[in-house]
Amino acid sequence: CMSDEQYDDLNRDPKNPTEVTADVLFTSATKSLFDQMSSTNVNDNVFKLFSQYFTQTTYIDESNYDLNGRTITDSHWLEMYSNVLYDLKDSSEKVMADAALSADEKAGRLAQIEVLSVYTWQQLVDTFGNIPYTEALDIAQFPLPKYDDAETEIYPNLITRIDAILGNFDSGEGFDSVADRIYGADMDAWKKFANSLKLRLGIRLSDVNPTLAQATVESAVSGGVFTSNADNALLDYLSATPNTNPLWVDLVESGRQDFVAANTIVDIMNDLDDPRRPLYFRENLGLGTFVGGEYGDSNSYTTNSQLGDLLHEATFAGVLMDYAEVSFYLAEAAERTYNVGGTATEFYTNGITASIEYWGGTPTDVTSYLTRTDVAYPTATGTWREKIGTQFWLAMYNRGFEGWTVWRKYDYPVLNTAVESGNPVPTRYTYPVDEQNLNGTNWDAASTAIGGDSQTTKLFWDTM
Amino acid sequence: QERTVSGTVTDPSGLPLPGVNIVVKGTSNGTQSDFDGNYSISVNTGDVLVFSYVGLKPEEITVGTSNVINATLTEDTAALDEVVITALGIKREKKSLGYATQEVDGEEVSKVKSSNFVNSLSGKVAGLDIKSSGTLGGSTNVVIRGSNSISGNNQALFVIDGVPISNQNTNTSDQTLGRGGYDYGNASSDINPDDIATINVLKGAAATALYGSRGMHGAVIITTKTGKTKKGIGITISSSLMIGTADSETLPNYQDKYGAGYGAYYGTTEDQYFNDFEDITGDGVPDLTVPFTEDASYGAAFDPSLMVYQWNSIFPQLEGYREATPWVAGANDPNYVWGTSGTYVNSVGLDGSDESSSFRLGYTNMMQEGNLPNSEIKRNSITFNGSHQFTDKLTASTSFTYTKTSGKGRYGTGYDSNNVMQQFRQWWQTNVDLEAQKNAYFATRENITWNTSSGTDLSPIYSDNPYWTFYENYETDSRNRYFGNVMLDYKINDWISAMARFSYDTYTEFQEERTNVGSANVSQYSRFNNQVAEYNYDFFLNFNKDLSDKLNLDGNFGLNLRRQTWESMRAVTNGGLGIPGLYSLSNSSSPIEAPIEYDATKMVDGAFVRASLGYDNFAFIEATYRRDRSSALPKDNNSFGYYSVSGSFIFSEFIDTDWITFGKLRANYAEVGDDTGPYRVYNTYNISAPFDGSGIASNPASLNNLDLKPQRQNSYEFGLEMSFLNKRAGFDFAYYNTTTEDQIVNVPYSGATGYSSRWLNAGTIENKGLELQLYGTPIKTEDFQWNLNVNWSKNENEVIELLDGIENLQLASLQGGVSINATPGEAYGTIRGTNFIYQDGERVVGTDGYYETTDTSNEVIGNVNPDWKAGINNSFSYKNVTLSFLIDIQKGGDIFSLDTWYGYATGLYDFTAGTNDLGNPVRNPVTSGADSGGVILSGVQADGTPNTVRASATSYANPWGYARTPNAAHVYDASFVKLRELSLTYSLTPKVLEKLPFTNASLSLIGRNLWIIHKNLPYSDPEAGLSSGNIQGYQSGAYPAIREIGASLKLQF
Repeated sequence: CMSDEQYDDLNRDPKNPTEVTADVLFTSATKSLFDQMSSTNVNDNVFKLFSQYFTQTTYIDESNYDLNGRTITDSHWLEMYSNVLYDLKDSSEKVMADAALSADEKAGRLAQIEVLSVYTWQQLVDTFGNIPYTEALDIAQFPLPKYDDAETEIYPNLITRIDAILGNFDSGEGFDSVADRIYGADMDAWKKFANSLKLRLGIRLSDVNPTLAQATVESAVSGGVFTSNADNALLDYLSATPNTNPLWVDLVESGRQDFVAANTIVDIMNDLDDPRRPLYFRENLGLGTFVGGEYGDSNSYTTNSQLGDLLHEATFAGVLMDYAEVSFYLAEAAERTYNVGGTATEFYTNGITASIEYWGGTPTDVTSYLTRTDVAYPTATGTWREKIGTQFWLAMYNRGFEGWTVWRKYDYPVLNTAVESGNPVPTRYTYPVDEQNLNGTNWDAASTAIGGDSQTTKLFWDTM
Repeated sequence: QERTVSGTVTDPSGLPLPGVNIVVKGTSNGTQSDFDGNYSISVNTGDVLVFSYVGLKPEEITVGTSNVINATLTEDTAALDEVVITALGIKREKKSLGYATQEVDGEEVSKVKSSNFVNSLSGKVAGLDIKSSGTLGGSTNVVIRGSNSISGNNQALFVIDGVPISNQNTNTSDQTLGRGGYDYGNASSDINPDDIATINVLKGAAATALYGSRGMHGAVIITTKTGKTKKGIGITISSSLMIGTADSETLPNYQDKYGAGYGAYYGTTEDQYFNDFEDITGDGVPDLTVPFTEDASYGAAFDPSLMVYQWNSIFPQLEGYREATPWVAGANDPNYVWGTSGTYVNSVGLDGSDESSSFRLGYTNMMQEGNLPNSEIKRNSITFNGSHQFTDKLTASTSFTYTKTSGKGRYGTGYDSNNVMQQFRQWWQTNVDLEAQKNAYFATRENITWNTSSGTDLSPIYSDNPYWTFYENYETDSRNRYFGNVMLDYKINDWISAMARFSYDTYTEFQEERTNVGSANVSQYSRFNNQVAEYNYDFFLNFNKDLSDKLNLDGNFGLNLRRQTWESMRAVTNGGLGIPGLYSLSNSSSPIEAPIEYDATKMVDGAFVRASLGYDNFAFIEATYRRDRSSALPKDNNSFGYYSVSGSFIFSEFIDTDWITFGKLRANYAEVGDDTGPYRVYNTYNISAPFDGSGIASNPASLNNLDLKPQRQNSYEFGLEMSFLNKRAGFDFAYYNTTTEDQIVNVPYSGATGYSSRWLNAGTIENKGLELQLYGTPIKTEDFQWNLNVNWSKNENEVIELLDGIENLQLASLQGGVSINATPGEAYGTIRGTNFIYQDGERVVGTDGYYETTDTSNEVIGNVNPDWKAGINNSFSYKNVTLSFLIDIQKGGDIFSLDTWYGYATGLYDFTAGTNDLGNPVRNPVTSGADSGGVILSGVQADGTPNTVRASATSYANPWGYARTPNAAHVYDASFVKLRELSLTYSLTPKVLEKLPFTNASLSLIGRNLWIIHKNLPYSDPEAGLSSGNIQGYQSGAYPAIREIGASLKLQF
């Protein structure tokens, strides 16, 4: 007979590792985060529908805001917590425990991990509202994690966390260029990303906590935010699965014809004669002809404008944050007379310029667009919210989550009612069905705290 | 003074009985009768000779003056001294058992053949729930007395001649969750029904406690035929042929009034039924075309005078290229696809024996052609049984079976384009003529689909040409299986014997799946190599001693060592195939990802003791204890014990009436347990394909556990067996209660913990139930006999608790937004989804006329467990003709149909094109006048008044399908009453046989699944499912029931 130890050894899987390095976990979390944010698979990410950039052709449940049929909110929640945040946490614990790393190496790596963590936490809060935070990611101690208040607990803490690592970039050494697929170990770029993220955290609070918003925004700007498209936080996808842009899988590899451009964005761009149209959309209806499918209705793939060729490329880059986004935040900050070193017009102009250039527009496109009276900041109609909201939203095409958030924050542009269901645009994701079953007491408390677990409950920063 | 007497022992018909024990009462002086029933023994006058033989009534004869003493042993009907094979192959007198077992004769599963003999047990054993997935060669779910395990295996253990065989399948989890893939069947189908002598079903924990950690779900003990019964060489030949056709009651009825589309959404104005912007003829003028991409039948009303460019007009390869055709329903709807299946089973058995040896050699060939094109299953099996008695004390025996099964074109399952039923039941254009699709495929051998991306882009968008699927995207598989044992028995003295046995079960599987270039799915080739082995080493000491005149002790002490290994590798191409039709990994368009390897070994060693004390043949008490050590559990918790106590009391010994032949009360209590599969203790990471040279590894979604301990099951059972009028009638009744706790469950957790689940000991399930078997011979005359057998069972199942804070455990989240769940306070296997909103018991209808639906999809809308099951078997014999038939009944149990969920919306079923209460087509627009279409759904408006609002049914967003109904509208009662088996047998009489070379000959006409007498699930078979396993109660692309008729011939020489 064999000993208990010999028996025990049979239970050790020879085909999978019990230990891996912090590097591979960091890369894995990076890729998971980009994949989740880039996808337009109706099982994973429906933000490009919520933002009304895309609409569906035949199977139109998700553009009519059905979140039940495919448990999309469960998928998003699990992906962000489990495959992004938990791997990042594990990676940071391994960095801290690694005796072979110098203090600078630890500081640099931990700062990179922290930037992606804070990014993900904010994304989750901005999607659901209150979420498990202080008790999250610790199954041993908190198998039923409580939800924390997004406004009073999580947001201030995220700002503090960013502040805590801003100093790490100067002498810190991050993950090498093999593991760091975003900036290839360029710590200056990471610092700008960290400050830009801080800017985003701050500006999100501008309607509810002006003091904290202003302080956060101003210190972010003085720390150095993105100043050009070269600073963008991108992941260059590869040409073969499983490392292509997830968009390519759904739009090309699947052979399906599920999405066309929504009339919401096409109509606005047509009115402005927007030079980005041939880049955002295919000219399948003839050169210069763009027609959007009626949002939430059954739409023909043939008689509406299809998504642009760039979106059909396997190697199309995923984006976490870009210069256009930063510019529009600064435009708002300037409107609010925060000290951000420029005027709203300048930042607004920078945002539009960055967007057109990023998508491949020419300098002429930029100039002629900006000279239009309905585009130029001083002459365009509406409040600053309408002007910034509209152009910001136009620039976030293909970044559905940000586009949807622009609408929630600025209440512009005016989005359409989904035709089939007649439902209004959701202002948040409902909590995963799993939370009702697996964390019921805390789910119940959180639902009450935010004003009901409904698609139309507004988030705390969405007061306007 | 001692002298020798001799004689012959015979049975009542005069046939010699070999192996009868003859002892001088009160001494150890004894002998056995030889092969011809002869014996001789030294005795003194006045000694009492005791003749005993298992199953027969012992005979005592006092020695007188004669030197010849012949004895005739009769069947012990009064005591029912039936011998049955129990756990670990231990033979027991049935009357002494304190637990329920039910025997089925091998004949009963081989007469009306099914490709998997287990299907033939349906309706024949009380407490046995058999559910076949319904595909060619598919798996069969075998659950005894309800599901005890929340997320683990619930399949009964199969044991053949002492060789344990797992009934788990190797289907992928995607397959069992309805996401596509093939059902490769499970192990029980490798057992050849022609080799089976008897089947004994051990139902409760007390019956299976000696199997230790694997007996928790009951056991099906199979004994194969041996050569023992006959002197010389005998030959048995049997041959059967069955022809199968799809039962139209289980197929859709298609409407023939409207064609392709989801509604009036097409054309340049997006409000027409046809497209008008594609130039098919090449004349520069747009033509009227079918919306090719639309896989629904909610389009334009058929009109033979309307000429439309349809799918056959856009392929240059086809004759009808650039020709418009009348807008009419396809001449052949998808039911055209169903052909005739043929199942041919031929077997030959040779058996023989002499004084000391016996053998049986069997060969069976099964060939099954499916009802769908290009599908077949073949099986060849060879089995050998032999035993030889070397000395009075030493006997050696062995059995060996080799089975090779090969499959080709097994049916695709679930929500996948390789399952043709997905398009036929859910997404179909009724204007398509399936015969024309078939002809188009054979004319071109290309994927001429009706569902192209457009009139000019001819690639398939969602659905392939079904014949392309059959002939290009088919799977092939093979399984080579070897199982058997070698056994030595040594008789140490007249009351102790020793047994050593080595048994093995090994198989290798090879499965290849293909998707050719040009299919709707990305082209692909995948291969799966799987090697599974199990070895058992047993050593038993058996004892049987009369402690006094009345007290008998019978028992065993044993050791068992089990070793199981699993090795598999699954590899798949990446990004498509380079060269069409070349199925090799090297033909991958992009570099392939690393194959998935699995390599595991599990060892369990156990020691057990069993003792049974019998008093005067009317009172018996038995106790067993076994201790196991399992390598799958953490080393501090790896040993665990099980025990059982059971007793029986034959009260008929004390009742002196003629009409009660036999009466027995039995009771037992058992505590058993179970370990788990390998690799649930230590955590490992998942490695994924590198990203351009950057390594990728992630924490798995499920967390393992260093503190796992064995799960426990406590059960008790009471039973009453009685028979009357010399066994003319009788019954067996059982009540059981089983509680399974500390289950090893992959408990789901809030994703906010960083994990979606964690292995834990958690959860309690209770199963309690009643089982009743009734048998009798209502009529018996010299020529005519009517035998009746009824089985009835009811199992109630409740999840008692999960874990604090966990209010529901999803077993599966399925397409359509429904889930299968375990919830405390509910039966295991609730269906959840969106529900109707009810007000005082009435469904609430919205102001638009459609049903209101709950916001959440977490409402309990059904339960998969049947209320009860029953089987009624009648057999009528007149002279040498026997007619028998089996009616199989299930009451209750729910099933969610994804087929009607989608198909009612896409409008392919007949009723979606019917008329409403006003006599108008329902699809007509709703108006305020007498010409209105639409329907008034029964229910109330929000104010409680009866609904009078007419709901529009002009498009797929009609009142019946997924767009406008809650999931609850597609949950159906799965009750059924089926005529499961019918056979008419003619046996040649002994008189006729005398003139022929045969010793036995019979011819039967046989039928299976002939008639569904009653069901509530429309257009489908309530028994159809995805696969064996815990995910039941869900249909997606379900296959029809197959009605089989045939004949079988059996000849013995």
